[in-house]
Amino acid sequence: MDIVDIFSYAWGGIKLRKLRAALTTLGIIIGIAAIVALLSLGEGFRIVITSQFERGFALDVLTVTAGRGLLASIIAGSGSEEYLTLNDTYIIDEIAGVKQATATLSKSIGVSLGTKTYTVTVVGINFTEYSTIYSTSFVLQNSSVPLNPSNDSIILGYRLYDPWKNGTILVRVGDYINLTWTTGSIAKPIVKRYTFHVVGVLKEIGGISIFGPSDIQAYIPITTAQEIFETDQVSQIQVQLVNSEQTTIDSVTDSIKNIYGDKVTVISPSAMLNTFSSILSTVQLLLAGLAGISLLVAGIGIMNIMIVSVIERTREIGILKSLGMKNKTVMTIFLCEAALIGLVGAAIGIVFGLGLSNFVTTFIFPLIGGGTNQTNAQGNRVVSNITPVLTPTVCLGAFFFGIATSVLFALYPAWRASKLKPVEALRYE
Amino acid sequence: MAPVVQTINLQKTYMLGKVPVNALRGVNLEVESGDFMAIVGPSGSGKSTLLNLIGALDRPTEGKVIIDGVDVSTLNDDQLAELRRRIGFVFQFFNLIPRLTASENVELPLAIAGINKRQRKEKTVELLKAVGLSERANHNPTELSGGEQQRVAIARALANDPRFLLLDEPTGNIDSKTADMLISLLKKLNEERGVTIIMITHDPNIAKQAKHIVRILDGKIIEETNNMNGGS
Repeated sequence: MDIVDIFSYAWGGIKLRKLRAALTTLGIIIGIAAIVALLSLGEGFRIVITSQFERGFALDVLTVTAGRGLLASIIAGSGSEEYLTLNDTYIIDEIAGVKQATATLSKSIGVSLGTKTYTVTVVGINFTEYSTIYSTSFVLQNSSVPLNPSNDSIILGYRLYDPWKNGTILVRVGDYINLTWTTGSIAKPIVKRYTFHVVGVLKEIGGISIFGPSDIQAYIPITTAQEIFETDQVSQIQVQLVNSEQTTIDSVTDSIKNIYGDKVTVISPSAMLNTFSSILSTVQLLLAGLAGISLLVAGIGIMNIMIVSVIERTREIGILKSLGMKNKTVMTIFLCEAALIGLVGAAIGIVFGLGLSNFVTTFIFPLIGGGTNQTNAQGNRVVSNITPVLTPTVCLGAFFFGIATSVLFALYPAWRASKLKPVEALRYE
Repeated sequence: MAPVVQTINLQKTYMLGKVPVNALRGVNLEVESGDFMAIVGPSGSGKSTLLNLIGALDRPTEGKVIIDGVDVSTLNDDQLAELRRRIGFVFQFFNLIPRLTASENVELPLAIAGINKRQRKEKTVELLKAVGLSERANHNPTELSGGEQQRVAIARALANDPRFLLLDEPTGNIDSKTADMLISLLKKLNEERGVTIIMITHDPNIAKQAKHIVRILDGKIIEETNNMNGGS
C-alpha cells in the first residue's frame, strides 16, 4: 500500500469520528498556541529590548566603575571603598587603543520642572568629551552642545522637557530651574538649592539607557557636580576605543585590569548585550518548556483516544489483515492518523498562538502601560512597543513538536494494533 | 498436479481458561485446483478453526498447512500477510468496512497489494459487474441488503485473483432466496472462471451444491463424498 493510500485511509478514519478528532486536535492546538504565543512574544520582547539598548549604547565605549561590579556590590551589601577620580581618566587615556576617556558623576536629586519638583538623575560630565564620545545620541534639539559651558549650565533629556509627549512643555531653553540637594542625616537634613540655566534639550534618544545618554537624565558640568556633591570621586569613566573590534575591547580591558587589578570593573556593551540576550533565551526556553507541559497533556490525550480507537476498530484491523495488510502498514495507518491530527493541530495552533500574542500586545499590554510617571515610563514604552515575532524556526519547530508529540504518543496504540492476531481480531464483537 | 491446499495431521488446541480444548485432532485434507468443496458439521465441530488455518489467519498447534506447495508454518508475519493476498475470504457477517463504499471496499485489497490506481478502478468496475452490483457501486454497506453486501464481499475476495475462495457460512445471514442466488453466483465463478472454492456451511441444502462434501465432527473428518449433482 503506498503512502498516499495510507494517508487517505487514515484521513477517512479521522473523518468518521469528527467530534472526537476535533477534541483530540484541540489539545495539540492549545499546546502549540501556548508555545507559539510565548515564543513570539519573547522574540518581540528581545527585539525591542535589544534595539532599545543599542540606541543608548555605543559599542566602542567601555565603562569603568570602581569596585567589583554592580552585582558584587549588591551582594556585598555596601558600596566599594575604592573609588575613581578625574585623574584616573588621564591614566586610562594613555592606554593603547583608547581614543579618549571621560568621567561622569551621577546622583539622584530634586529638579524643579514647571510647578513640581521631580527626582531626576543628574549627571556631571565634560560637555566636550561626552558629546564627542556619544556623538549620535548626545545631540541637542536646536543648537550644538556648548564647549565652554558656564558652571550653572544644564542640559535636559527629552522626557524632562516633554514628559508625556503631548506638547505639555515643562521647561524651555533659556529658563532657570532649581536643583535641590539634600545632605546630612535623615534626622537633620541639610537642604541646598542651586539655580541652573537650561542651555539645551537633547533630541529624543529612545531606548533604555544603562550607560550613556538617556532621555530622563539632566547633565551639568562635572566640576560643578563635584562642587555640589562635595566629592572628588567620579561614578564612572567612559572609555572610547579606537574601534569596536573585540580584540581592541579585550586588550584595553586587560590593560585597565593590569593597572587597577580587581579594584575596578570594566563593562563592554557587547558583553552586556550578549549576557542579556542569553538570559532572555533561557527565560524564553523556560516559558516554552512550561507551555510544553500542555503539549505533553495533549499527547497523553492522543494516546488515550488512540487506544480506545484501536479497541473499537479491532474487527476492522482483522479485516485489513485478512486482506493481506502487513503489520507495519497497520501501524503506519494509525501513526498517519496521529500525524494528521498533529499537523492540523499545529497549523491551527500557530494561527491561534499568533492571534493570542497579538491580542495580548494590542489589548492587554496597553492596560499595563497606562501610567505616566517618570519611573515606569521606560518600562511602559518597552511593553507597548512589543510586536510578536514569529520566526521561521519557531514555526517549523511548532509543526515538528505538534506532529512529533502526536506520533510519539500514538506509537504504543499503533504498535498494539499492528500486533493484533487476525483470527482474534476478526472474532471481536 | 499438486493440490492448492493440503493439510497434514492438522491439530489445534485452544486454552479455554485453564482447560485445553482440542478443536482439531489430526485433519488430513486436499483441495485440488478448480474444486468446489463444502465443509459441513455441527457447531463446535472445528470447521471454523479449520478454515482459519487454511486461510493462514492462525497457526496450527501441530501438523502442517501447505498452500501452493508452501508450508505455512515456515512463514513469518509479513510473508503470511502476502500469502493472504492470494486467498479470498468471504465471512458470514460480510466484514465490509462500513465507511467505505461498495467500490472502495472492492478496491481495498488491490490497494493493499500495491496495484496502481488506474488498474484498481478497472478491476473494481469489472468485479462489481460480475457480481451484478454495478448500479450500487457508490453505496455504503449500510445502504445495501444482506445479499448485496455478501456479493460485494465476494467481489472483494476475487479482487487479487486468489488461488481459492474461503467462505465461512456465506448464506448464514441472508434469506433463502438470496442464498440461492449467491450459490448460483459461486457455481458460475467455479465453472466459468475456474475459481477454487472452499465453503463452510451447516445448511445441507447449500452443501449439496458443491462438488465435494467433507463432514467434520469433534475435530476430525468423518466423511468425504463426491457429489455427483454438485457443481452443475
